[in-house]
Amino acid sequence: MAAKAAVLGAPSLEPFDFGSTAAIIKLLPKDLFAELCERIMQHLRCLIPGVNTVELCQRFQTAGVEMNVADLAKIINVVSFLFSTAAKNNLSAEELSTGLGNVISMLPKHAVQVICHIWNEQGKSIMSEDARNMATVGQIIDIQWKLGMAVSSDSCRSLKYPYVTMTLKVAELSGQIMSRSFEMTIPQFQDFFRHFKEMAAVLETV
Amino acid sequence: MAAEQPQREGSKALSGLLSGIAQAAYYGHAGITEELLRGQLYPEAAPHEFRALLAKMSGVLKSVASADMDLNQLEAFLTAQTKKQGGITADQAAVIANFWKNHRTKIRESLINQSRWDNTLKNMNWRVDLKSQSRHIDQINTPVAIVEMELGKNGQSQFFFFLQDFFFFLF
Repeated sequence: MAAKAAVLGAPSLEPFDFGSTAAIIKLLPKDLFAELCERIMQHLRCLIPGVNTVELCQRFQTAGVEMNVADLAKIINVVSFLFSTAAKNNLSAEELSTGLGNVISMLPKHAVQVICHIWNEQGKSIMSEDARNMATVGQIIDIQWKLGMAVSSDSCRSLKYPYVTMTLKVAELSGQIMSRSFEMTIPQFQDFFRHFKEMAAVLETV
Repeated sequence: MAAEQPQREGSKALSGLLSGIAQAAYYGHAGITEELLRGQLYPEAAPHEFRALLAKMSGVLKSVASADMDLNQLEAFLTAQTKKQGGITADQAAVIANFWKNHRTKIRESLINQSRWDNTLKNMNWRVDLKSQSRHIDQINTPVAIVEMELGKNGQSQFFFFLQDFFFFLF
């Protein structure tokens, strides 16, 4: 089975649906796209706490552009990814416009111009180690857990195994709060718990 | 001696057949057809005879796996099967019992995985940094953990990175 890795801001050039995001970017006139990229850069520079997607969508609507928050978040993820990749690899504006090859070529020309212009102006500010990390992570703001017992299924009458389901509430780059849930068997959960205990121990000693 | 030969051959073939059934039903190996099994294990058997044998053995194995039988339940179940009209022979029961003893854990694990349809945690890595720049002034110069989690299902994965600088709600 082919493993398709959809990466949210991780340090690699794995495509995350640039094609459909490029189509969404085409909907934005140049000045609105520039304003959006400006906000994204300010967020990456830690000048503003987040990109307020709801407010921006309303502004775009007043300007006659129909876009929902999910699509806007896609653009934010792509542009943040481009800026942070440029920061990690110490790219100049020219290298950014040519270096990312087919990724950049999928975007409309005016969008590439805007991105390179902003990178030229402000890119240096996010080339520090910390800023590069900040550019790619979301922050966990809440964790909830549930212990369940699988009893039976259509393929197995007697399943009887306990499992832990966890929901993480994460404040993402775009300022959106997303919930991500996943399941663990008891041994997996014990492993998970051990990791966090180790982290806590290290955090205390730093 | 000569009488034991066919029995051993029969046991080996049945063992192989059960393996083939398990490969297809539990270990996710595609392409294990009836034709393949017959050709490899029971080349002398007529197709309709083999089909009947395959159906019977599949049914027995699936019943055993579905109920996750322990040794007592297994013995009782197999004994009942030997007494049934058109059931299994004592030799076949012995082969099945042996097969289940060896494969129970693996088959059970496969059944459990088949029933996990949501994201599971595939892998996790972490690192502790000292932050000197932050979205919030009060977090400067605090240590922070960066966690990478690989969540996925059905061969697809997504990687998520998280900042973590408060742990009190976990402990």
